[in-house]
Amino acid sequence: MNLGGIPILAADPDAGLSGNALPLLREIAERLKRLLATGEAGALDLHSLPLTPADRAWLKARLGEGEIRVILDSDGESTLDETACPGVWWVTHRNLHGAVSVELIEVAFVPELVKAHPEDVQNGLAHLELLMGDLR
Amino acid sequence: MQGPLIDTLALHGVSRRTFLKYCSTLASLMALPPAAGVAMAEAMAAAPAAAKRPSVIWLPFQECTGCTESITRSHSPSIEGMIFDMVSLDYQETLMAAAGHQAEEVLRKTVEANKGQFLLIIDGSVATGLDGAYSCIAGRSNLALLKEIAPHAAAIVAMGSCAAYGGLPKAKPNPTGAVSVSDIVKDKPIVNIPGCPPIPVVMTGVLAHFLTFGSLPDLDKLGRPKAFYGETIHDRCYRRPFYDQGKFAKTFDDEGARNGWCLFELGCKGPVTYNACATVKWNGGTSWPVESGHGCLGCSEPNFWDAGGFYKALSMPANPLRMAAGAAVAGAAAGVAVSFANRAKKKDAKAAHETTTLADLEKSEER
Repeated sequence: MNLGGIPILAADPDAGLSGNALPLLREIAERLKRLLATGEAGALDLHSLPLTPADRAWLKARLGEGEIRVILDSDGESTLDETACPGVWWVTHRNLHGAVSVELIEVAFVPELVKAHPEDVQNGLAHLELLMGDLR
Repeated sequence: MQGPLIDTLALHGVSRRTFLKYCSTLASLMALPPAAGVAMAEAMAAAPAAAKRPSVIWLPFQECTGCTESITRSHSPSIEGMIFDMVSLDYQETLMAAAGHQAEEVLRKTVEANKGQFLLIIDGSVATGLDGAYSCIAGRSNLALLKEIAPHAAAIVAMGSCAAYGGLPKAKPNPTGAVSVSDIVKDKPIVNIPGCPPIPVVMTGVLAHFLTFGSLPDLDKLGRPKAFYGETIHDRCYRRPFYDQGKFAKTFDDEGARNGWCLFELGCKGPVTYNACATVKWNGGTSWPVESGHGCLGCSEPNFWDAGGFYKALSMPANPLRMAAGAAVAGAAAGVAVSFANRAKKKDAKAAHETTTLADLEKSEER
């Protein structure tokens, strides 16, 4: 049998769609309204929802790409990417082997993980002062 | 007395963000809302680190070491390993360097030094036949060892389906008289972590819960942590919408299978199996049986091995195809009789632990 003899079937682009992704857009919209009204941030854990891989790709394509991409290099790489809707972040945590451990959609002005903790800033300041003392 | 946990972690080179990320993973794992991760991180970071690592004794009974294989895929070398460094695993035959009399001496000393405080992990079922002689360590039966050590443990974790329910050794006709840990020990808190093997992070997740909160997690009626066994595979399955739409794969290579439709009719036991495979997945989140195109076997449920065919749909009566074929040829009454005869034959075969093939059934119908 030659290669040409193998029938090739183009996959239907809607084949894996379950219809479960659309309601998530509504939930994100609700959370955005809450963020604007009260400043309360929120998140959706994508792993706990029954989504097909196609649903996830559909959702990602609908939300689009924004202007900011954050890469966090700690215990494996994490990416926190703003989507085309400001305030909506697609967050992917990976472990040291590069496998995805958590996938979240965060609704926040800035994700909590990106902000520096006051105690850490304090430690940084102490380090800097020590450094300056040495250089004097 | 040591300082807050976050300082201890900082000494180990673990940053606050790494810790926050870990807590976020743990919250997702325990099916808590994402906000719980932040709250958990704050509580854990401020809590004082334990002055002494709690002692853990791991006893292997009638088992295949699959549970050990699985758990070693969990932590190394992630931060779960860090937290794992906070227990003192004093006896684990597969992992420990000591052997022979030296190893048994460690076991005796550990029990002596940590009476009422150590966590006892058991994998494998307990053989009770011939006074437990079917499975022995250092000349003592598992049964005697369990009865001797269990009273001194703070709590017991029954790791894997064998320790939790008897598992494969208990499969009919159960030649060794295998029973579960909870069949023998009645007066200690026991956490069952079933699965064949259990999901690696579920095992470390339960240990992390014990270490971080100082208590055992909430359990369901079968003694399983609700965080991981609270929902069925089916309820969290990404193929669930196809079930709701009535879209089923009929064979393993038809269009439905290629489109990723529901595997219910191919014998998936997801609707009656409580486990976290659908969300936590396997091999570092790479995939899991249903995502690979095979139905769930139900390995975290009691007696899954004897629960009928792996490829028989849950809704199917014993033999509907035979019944229909028989009815068409010889009338409904005869058909039902044939079906019952076959069912009886199958039941007998199951009891005798033989395999029944399609050819056997056809032969009996001709007779």
